[in-house]
Amino acid sequence: MCFLLVMTMFMQFKVVQKTEETNIDMMQETELRQELASWKNKYDETKEKYDETMETLTSYKEETTAESKTRETLEKELQTLEEALGRTDVEGEGVIIYLTQKKDEELGEDEEMKPIIAEDLIYIINYLKDAGAEAISINGERVVNTTYLVDVGETIKINSKYLRETTFEIKAIGNSTYLESSIFGKGGYAETLDVSGIKASCEKSNKVQISKYEGDFEIKYTEEAD
Amino acid sequence: MNKKVESIILMIMCFILGMAVVVQINSVNNNGTTISSNSKESDLKTQVLKMKEKYERQYNELEDLTKKLEEARQQATSNNSELEELEAKIKQDNLLLGNTNIKGPGITITLTDGKKELTLIDSADLLIHAENVLAVVNELKNAGAEAISINGERVVNTSAISCDGNIIIVNGKKVSTPIEIAAIGYAPRLTTLSRAGGTLENFALDGKGVEIKKPNNIEMPKFTGVYSFKYMKTR
Repeated sequence: MCFLLVMTMFMQFKVVQKTEETNIDMMQETELRQELASWKNKYDETKEKYDETMETLTSYKEETTAESKTRETLEKELQTLEEALGRTDVEGEGVIIYLTQKKDEELGEDEEMKPIIAEDLIYIINYLKDAGAEAISINGERVVNTTYLVDVGETIKINSKYLRETTFEIKAIGNSTYLESSIFGKGGYAETLDVSGIKASCEKSNKVQISKYEGDFEIKYTEEAD
Repeated sequence: MNKKVESIILMIMCFILGMAVVVQINSVNNNGTTISSNSKESDLKTQVLKMKEKYERQYNELEDLTKKLEEARQQATSNNSELEELEAKIKQDNLLLGNTNIKGPGITITLTDGKKELTLIDSADLLIHAENVLAVVNELKNAGAEAISINGERVVNTSAISCDGNIIIVNGKKVSTPIEIAAIGYAPRLTTLSRAGGTLENFALDGKGVEIKKPNNIEMPKFTGVYSFKYMKTR
């Protein structure tokens, strides 16, 4: 008995040692590689921005006498900022996600019918942003920094517009593979929606077109600080 | 007599077992692959630290250059009302994008993981999850928040609030509890978040820690990243 016990412990020990060792090794290495790639990416973006800023600075300094040139530089700067704010129509690689409620006959055995609610859209937007989405719209309404989504009766309110539709078209510009897998990857939100009776599908495109934000940004209480 | 023999056998067994353990550990430690992967790791760690330093240096340089740009822009547009107007628009856009440090009235909401005192409560309910923070941010925007930060991380249009296990990540940076969500705006409207039956009250009922404050002045740091668009082009 005692001998058997010792033998099993011995074997167990051996196996545990081996697997743990390799798992931790693998994890640490991949984690470190991800960390390295992430800092590298940040550096590249910052360097690019630095070069761009230097170019703008030079053009202001050189052309203080030529008014037309200064105006050109100012307009170029403003254009970049307006683009980031969502105040321009944009186009690029991305995905279009369609959400529809399943018909009764399409429902699986354990599935129950639930309407699409604001929370579903909030999660989807957040997953898309996490996957690097550069622009997002929901049924044509551009998602900007002040955008919120809330259920109001049977409708979903977005940017002071009430969506009465029961189907949704979510457009996002960015790396289409990342964007798709952020929702449709294994264990992704598309699976959660599926068991709630909501069908989600995805279309990749090189020319997703997203309209600009038509509203205003109101600032009443915010002041610049040093 | 029998008992003595038994205990001696047990002692020998234990000794062998102990030796086996020691040998096992030794052999694993001296294993060649472990050593090589350890050095690979420390090499990687050095690379990570170096890259982080390189980024931070570049970021500081960018900050200095941005200040110079602002001065140069102001100089280039002075004495020309049309150009001054364009300059003002650029400033306003930078403010809206979170590119400047700001201040103003508003509220702070501090969320903390609850302590397990009542056995009735599910411990998952006690913890602050990324979804909870996301819900609060959405509600603050609904209540007219002009700017929001989470533990000092500005929430901008490209910000995601995600999680990695139990860790909440904002703008790619880890934030841990207590999580302080600050919002600048009209405080009486922002405080409607604490209404009965609202999200915050539900958090409190779940056993999470919720604390709301209304400071007269909130100072909020700027977004510490850069907007970089690789895929979208203006039509």
